[in-house]
Amino acid sequence: MTKGAKRRGGLWAAQRRFILGVSIPTLLYIGGLSLFPLVWALVLMFFDYSPQRVGGPFLGLGGNNPFVGLNHFREMLVGTSMEAQLFRVSLKNTLIFAFAVLPLNLAITLPLAALIESVHDQIKALFRAIYFLPVVTSSVGVALMWGYLYHPQQGLLNAIIRGLGGTPVAWLSDPRATFLGVSVAMWAVIAAYLWQDYGYNLVIFIAALQGIPKEFKEAAMIDGANAWQVFTRVTIPLLRPTLLFVCVMTMLSSFSVFDIIQVMTNGAPNHQTRLLVLDIYENAFRYQNMGWAAATSLVLVMVVMAVTLIQMRLLRTEWEY
Amino acid sequence: MTTPHHSPPLFFSPRHLSRFLAYFVLLLGLSVTLTPFLWMIFSSLKTATEITRVPPTFFPQQPTLDNYRTILQDPRLPLLRFYGNSLFVAVGNVVSQLFTSALLGFLFAKYEFRGKRPFFGFFLLSMMIPSQMTMIPGYLILVRLHLVNTLWGLVLPSFINAFGLFMMRQFIETLPNELLDAARIDGASEWQIFLRVVLPQLGPALATLGTLEFMGSWNAYLWPMVVITRVERRTLPIILTWYQSQHTTRPHITMAAAVLVVVPILFVYFFFQRWIVRGVTMTGFK
Repeated sequence: MTKGAKRRGGLWAAQRRFILGVSIPTLLYIGGLSLFPLVWALVLMFFDYSPQRVGGPFLGLGGNNPFVGLNHFREMLVGTSMEAQLFRVSLKNTLIFAFAVLPLNLAITLPLAALIESVHDQIKALFRAIYFLPVVTSSVGVALMWGYLYHPQQGLLNAIIRGLGGTPVAWLSDPRATFLGVSVAMWAVIAAYLWQDYGYNLVIFIAALQGIPKEFKEAAMIDGANAWQVFTRVTIPLLRPTLLFVCVMTMLSSFSVFDIIQVMTNGAPNHQTRLLVLDIYENAFRYQNMGWAAATSLVLVMVVMAVTLIQMRLLRTEWEY
Repeated sequence: MTTPHHSPPLFFSPRHLSRFLAYFVLLLGLSVTLTPFLWMIFSSLKTATEITRVPPTFFPQQPTLDNYRTILQDPRLPLLRFYGNSLFVAVGNVVSQLFTSALLGFLFAKYEFRGKRPFFGFFLLSMMIPSQMTMIPGYLILVRLHLVNTLWGLVLPSFINAFGLFMMRQFIETLPNELLDAARIDGASEWQIFLRVVLPQLGPALATLGTLEFMGSWNAYLWPMVVITRVERRTLPIILTWYQSQHTTRPHITMAAAVLVVVPILFVYFFFQRWIVRGVTMTGFK
């Protein structure tokens, strides 16, 4: 073997050692803390499992934590137990929440992004920075400040309503108050969530708008289109890939909302704001009913995946610019 | 090209009107964004008598720092300890994730090996597993590892961040291979290349990822609440809700506590604003 080939061989060996040295611990880590928990969750949902009971030797399954087959899923569909009813309420609430948040969010962020994009550059940066503030604020902080805005006696919102001559509302605690068929408490948490989250989509839309070549708009203007026509016929179609991304991400995060709900209402009044992640959390960690909670978490995941796939279908684009 | 406006500009020309409307809407949005913050801050400066007034005042009539004093002197609430806990977890998460993201990004960007594609697919998959599903077994694993009620229980399970890995891979792919080969010819080992050649080039990407991760960790609520039940090990968001439950009739105190939790992260935000906006638009990381 020549000296050069030997050295090259040494280099390859060094690279191989590096590749193995990095990937083996990584695989072990991912396997142990990501894939194994997934498999465990998939097994857990077929057992009536609680960590408080001593079960069989393998992961505490079996024995006092018996195998129950598809019972949890049957219970979710037609069961009359308290947890089955709460699950169905939570699922319904979660769907209402997510399907209200998405259009409202887009109705706020898209026009606002276009407006911000139209103003002077330095002011633009300032607006963007301030609009993004709620996104970086701790959601517990958001929940506390909004909870106090909604306070029936001392809250700012009711003070404004009184000032305008209206009747104050018990925003987070009146079980009978509804608006458009959805409880007022639900609208109240939706508003708080929108406030916290809209800066995120706004920043993404602003970046996307900056990426659209000016020539497209100018060409439309020369052809006699007005600003509204340019926005609806040129800008929005060109934003479609961004729109898809934003829709998917907004749906994903609104299906997994927990923090502000748990702090502001904890599901009250009358479970009207109980969302699925809160339901899963309560069952798993408060009542230690982990088999059931794992089964309901699978339903949440399936719903999220289905909604994501549908959105990808609807907003697919065949072209790029 | 002809100019669209031949008439001399009037104040109420359509152009001015739409400009005026644009600023009006933007300022309205701004006040909606800022009012809850101001409400929190002003409420935290009110006295116990002023806070119970109906209808409430917006600006504090006799601003006082008493509420902050009450919190800082509360023996049940050694606030420095909780700042320390939050800081420990955030720094642990940031350091570990920056290191693994850069290292694995380097591996996937610059090395060819058998099984690379399925290995990478593995990460894609792990990224798509929703945390709600792995939360329960994740907790049971921590119980068996005796990491429940420890701050390490908040650091160890999130050593690897798939988003960070993707971001770093994209970044490292743009580095010229000649740079790495030159270092190899000079006798550098692969680890030395990573530490001395690749890492120093990653400044902006590391700043972006680090800031996003710091804020995510600082604000995290659900997982810390699952893992930590002992009071003295809590992080700031959990201690905040606990404190609120102790003071349900004293919102001025709760608001002051909220200010103390929210403000540090706002400082981080104003320092690193550029990186955060860039990171969000680049990766969609949340």
